[in-house]
Amino acid sequence: MPVFNLCLKIFRRNWLAVFIYVAIFVAISVTIAITSVHDQSSGNGFTQQKAKIAFISEEKTPLTEGFRQELAKHADFVSIPDSKEQLQDALFFRQVTYVLRIPKGFTKNILDGGTMQIEKTIVPESVENAYIDIDVQQYWNLARLYVRHDPGLTQEQLTERLRQNLDGDTPVRMNVHEHAKTKDSFSMYYFNFLSYALSAILIMGISTVMIVFNKQDLRRRIFCSPSSPLKVNLQIILADLLFAAVALVALVGFCFLLDAKSFTTPNMPYFLVNAVAFTACITSLSFLVGNLLNNLSAMSGVCNILTLGPSFISGVFVPQEFLNDTVLKIASFTPTYWYVQANTKIAKLTDFDWQNLRPVFTSTLILLTFTAAFAALSLVVGKRKRLME
Amino acid sequence: MFRHVFVYRFKYLIRDRELVFWTFVFPVILASFFYMAFFNINKDEAFHPINVAVVYGGEEQYDAPFKAVIEDASKGKDKLFNLKDATSQSDAEQWLKKGRIAGYFTSGETVKLTIKDSELEQSIMKSFADQYRSSRLAVQRIAQDHPDSLKEELLKDIGNRGNYVKETAGGNSEPDSMLNYFYALIAMACFYGSFWGMKEVTDIQADISDRAARVNTAPVHKLLAFIAGSAAALVILFTEMLLLLAYLNFALHISFGNRAGLVILTALTGSVLGLSFGALISAIVKKGAGMKVAILTVATMIGSFLSGMMYMDMKYLIARYVPFLAWLNPVNLLTDAFYALYYYDSLSHYVRTMGMMCIFILLFCTGTYLIVRRRKYAGL
Repeated sequence: MPVFNLCLKIFRRNWLAVFIYVAIFVAISVTIAITSVHDQSSGNGFTQQKAKIAFISEEKTPLTEGFRQELAKHADFVSIPDSKEQLQDALFFRQVTYVLRIPKGFTKNILDGGTMQIEKTIVPESVENAYIDIDVQQYWNLARLYVRHDPGLTQEQLTERLRQNLDGDTPVRMNVHEHAKTKDSFSMYYFNFLSYALSAILIMGISTVMIVFNKQDLRRRIFCSPSSPLKVNLQIILADLLFAAVALVALVGFCFLLDAKSFTTPNMPYFLVNAVAFTACITSLSFLVGNLLNNLSAMSGVCNILTLGPSFISGVFVPQEFLNDTVLKIASFTPTYWYVQANTKIAKLTDFDWQNLRPVFTSTLILLTFTAAFAALSLVVGKRKRLME
Repeated sequence: MFRHVFVYRFKYLIRDRELVFWTFVFPVILASFFYMAFFNINKDEAFHPINVAVVYGGEEQYDAPFKAVIEDASKGKDKLFNLKDATSQSDAEQWLKKGRIAGYFTSGETVKLTIKDSELEQSIMKSFADQYRSSRLAVQRIAQDHPDSLKEELLKDIGNRGNYVKETAGGNSEPDSMLNYFYALIAMACFYGSFWGMKEVTDIQADISDRAARVNTAPVHKLLAFIAGSAAALVILFTEMLLLLAYLNFALHISFGNRAGLVILTALTGSVLGLSFGALISAIVKKGAGMKVAILTVATMIGSFLSGMMYMDMKYLIARYVPFLAWLNPVNLLTDAFYALYYYDSLSHYVRTMGMMCIFILLFCTGTYLIVRRRKYAGL
């Protein structure tokens, strides 16, 4: 099979470019694994997140001390010198996400029924801040309640009352068996990121081969050889499929190395099926790209845009729930969107009945439709190109 | 002579459509994707009311006040919850299992919470229950100590909450982490400019390219030819950066703070940094053009990755655990310089990063000069 062998030779020549993508991909995945995945070992209980805050008080009264102790339940205090530059630095480098400043005279003002406010400087969109706000509001609102309805209390008594009231915790029952092990797990993120690496590798590798075979001289040489065009095409397709399969197995293999636990979950086969469908889809897309382009330098640009673009707007890098609706509508015209949709749904599965699986299969089916469409298009384009000559 | 070389280098460089694509079109397209992806993140609409259910224990004295409070929290524009009424516990269990609610409360002497995940939504639910519990204890205590106090008044007061915290800005601007993606992108574009620098060095070493051999036979001092060519490359790269800045600022409304002059100076420094970096790599690596491009691309990508272009938290991880790396990564220095201009009131942080960048430029230029100078070719 000379054509098949030539294809493999071209793949081998391009190993460096492919290797770069694999390396970058694995590096990003490992970083994500270390930082953004919730600690699964403590997943059996409820854990309230803690915010890192800088607590600056311009006065020290029993009430502010009590407040400080209450706040310590939901916050870790980081001590930072009270200078504007240092505080800005701390917020910038996320040493703290909340700087809280009790102004002088605050306690007296509250005891007199005033409306003085605590000042906060925060990192926007950092989620833990919501708790700190709730705690702050609750403490001083209760203090106000006592001041208005039990004015005889001394400051120490008031602090003690507040401590008693705020003590204790709401009992939380966690239905652990209903919590899908793969939800927000490393595997889910990995399989989402996989779509980026896989499309980059496949488009780059396969379209390189196609561009080589679309060179006029080479094509003419093949035409005068004693093998039929069908056989030639089948050999190219076979080589491309082999390449795609190797890429998929290698990338999934990394996932196995990094998060072997997930491979025993019942969700894993569905992840794999979805990944295979996506691979098929991107393989046929690469065919199309290879048929449309004529030179290698343009390919690198097209490849980058075709892989990065859909990854950004379909929720590979930024989860879909954070994306704008219009952006998502545009994204739904790309296969990556449906792949990510299916992955996110699979990750949450705990019951594997038809009702729950149907949306997953719908997404996978759409992926296969894309595959067929790209394949048909590339056949048309290829044929047209040959006829034009 | 300078003008002559400059003009022809300029014409030659600007016709390289591929390089123009990578240094200008690609960053613009990438910025647009960033914009689409981060469009919503900073907006308030990101918070959707949480779907919850309540199962009442059946004791009126405990159910009624909780019902009043939670119904109040599920009303109006800024509501916290979407409340679903469960007739029985099994109802709520079913909903929870199917993911239709984030969790459910069970009212009683103490309010209980049942959930299946431990995430932000559940934490908010717990805080809500905690708040209810402590408020109720406070009311009980007051009523117990002062049986004569007006219960109506007390309940009205507890619902009528004051606001005890106000936000003040730490400096000129909020620490908006989304901006870092765009600043890192500009830094990446500057470092893609290293391709121009690479081209300049390639075209001055007669054993590397034919064009360089031709230039070497001309009666021009090599340094002069090199400086003229590099000036042409710098003009192109700097113009591209200005256009990119304009696109980011005017089309995508990315803020750069209000020191426009310094922003432009930073872009210029970044362009020089990128060019000199490409020149140095091109001078060191003697192998083919493919190898040079690969090294430049990988170096730029790793630099951008470490300064948080692909993954924001990377920047903070480095600042926390390996702070010296932040100072040794020129891409990160450039990103930080833009951020410092936007974020800090004082210029000290900015001056430090700019100083470090200048040291890098000096290092790159000296290195290139020492390698390229005084080359004579006996035969080609």
